[in-house]
Amino acid sequence: MEGLAEIDREARKESFIHNLDGRIKLISSLLIIIYAVSSTNLMILAIMEVYLLILISISNITPKYALKRIALIIPFGGFVALIQPFFQPGNVIWTGLFGWLQITDYGLFFGALLLFRMVVAVTAIVFLSSSTSMQDLVASAQRLGVPHQLAMLLNLTVRYLFFFYDQLENILNAQSTRCFDIFSNKTSYKWRLRKVGETITMMFLRAFEQGEKVYLSMMSRGYSENTSTYRAKTSLDSKDYVFFSATVLVILGLQFVNMFFL
Amino acid sequence: MHIPDGFIPLWQCAIYWIIAIVAIGFALRWARENLDERNIPLLAVLAAGIFAIQAMNIPIPWGTSGHMVGAALIAIIFFSPWAAVLVLSIVLILQGLIFGDGGMTALGANIVNMGIIGGFVGFYAYKALKGVGRIPAIFLAGWASIFLAAIACAIEMAWAGTFPLAEGIIFMGLYHAVIGVIEGVISVVVVLGIDSVRSDLLADWVSSNKQGTLNTKQEVAK
Repeated sequence: MEGLAEIDREARKESFIHNLDGRIKLISSLLIIIYAVSSTNLMILAIMEVYLLILISISNITPKYALKRIALIIPFGGFVALIQPFFQPGNVIWTGLFGWLQITDYGLFFGALLLFRMVVAVTAIVFLSSSTSMQDLVASAQRLGVPHQLAMLLNLTVRYLFFFYDQLENILNAQSTRCFDIFSNKTSYKWRLRKVGETITMMFLRAFEQGEKVYLSMMSRGYSENTSTYRAKTSLDSKDYVFFSATVLVILGLQFVNMFFL
Repeated sequence: MHIPDGFIPLWQCAIYWIIAIVAIGFALRWARENLDERNIPLLAVLAAGIFAIQAMNIPIPWGTSGHMVGAALIAIIFFSPWAAVLVLSIVLILQGLIFGDGGMTALGANIVNMGIIGGFVGFYAYKALKGVGRIPAIFLAGWASIFLAAIACAIEMAWAGTFPLAEGIIFMGLYHAVIGVIEGVISVVVVLGIDSVRSDLLADWVSSNKQGTLNTKQEVAK
């Protein structure tokens, strides 16, 4: 729940990276993720991770916050990566008690590969979202050709995200002042589930009614079906080209190393 | 159920992305043709609401916790699986891009599982079962939308070679059969709740048609 405010705080900071054009950061991050997913070399992935951590460290993002976010996203995928050694086919390098548990060399490598890929991809997303505001991200996506209807939907959703997090927090605070605790076993589970359902109903109704209000106020300002969001034209300057070239060079360089040296 | 980056090879990701993009295209066309233009902003604001609802942890007996997905709920309320595809796609795009919840290359697969499969299963399960009774129909629609989305997720991971098929189906299936119960129960509570206070928001086929009693209540209130 606190995640949203933290992301926003980091994205509002000032730095060389924060001042780059959103489009450049979006494309660069996606390129890094795609290259990471296609890579099968742990060394290459480790170098990419270092490159991303350098970018994070020069962009004034609180390091503790960035590491915490990366660590928090890992669990689900981490679990899947962790069990790889036990079922991937390959040469058995360890047999557990009674011979029912085996670790294979390929499984060990494959598990590490999944983990490395995922960490690089998550780091790229943390870098992107901590150095670019959500509105800027959506605007960049629109400038890059996301259809205007979808872009408008994304834009409005981002705008109301904070609003609904506040609303939910209000409801939860009000509930806790009445000593309601979803996780407390002192009341019956059925009753608690019902209260959660009612909370969600309330959220749903507020979202609905807010949506109607937003629509009416948009209408009164001249909104119609064919309305599209105005985006001031922004041009890329030299620092954007420098950053983009650096990222592309890193990827090409790694590919070169991968093909001829590893 | 959010598949992270790196678990599915790129060429398979491309297939899911294409399916997802085509589905979003159809969903946008559905929105243009079947809703008046007001529902475009409405869907966006609703997506923000769903985002917050998904952030809410709900306890599950045996110590863990889960959260709502809401695909079946939206499909039932809007009387269309496309509404669920659109709203869930928006939520998943932002979760992937901003929160890192679910990968960007795996985004297509996540939209296929939770948006398309979740929405369509929820919609048609409700449609098929509503003759049996409204409450069991909503419950089973919610439950099946989660359960089958999880099975699809297990199959995709098996195809990608990151999880053995049988174990994946058993593990994902069992876990989400429990999470699905929560989804089902909460879907029932939400639909009944909306029906009792703002039944005009529900598509006709879901509301209990107690317009008469509502009117008298409103008159009494006046």
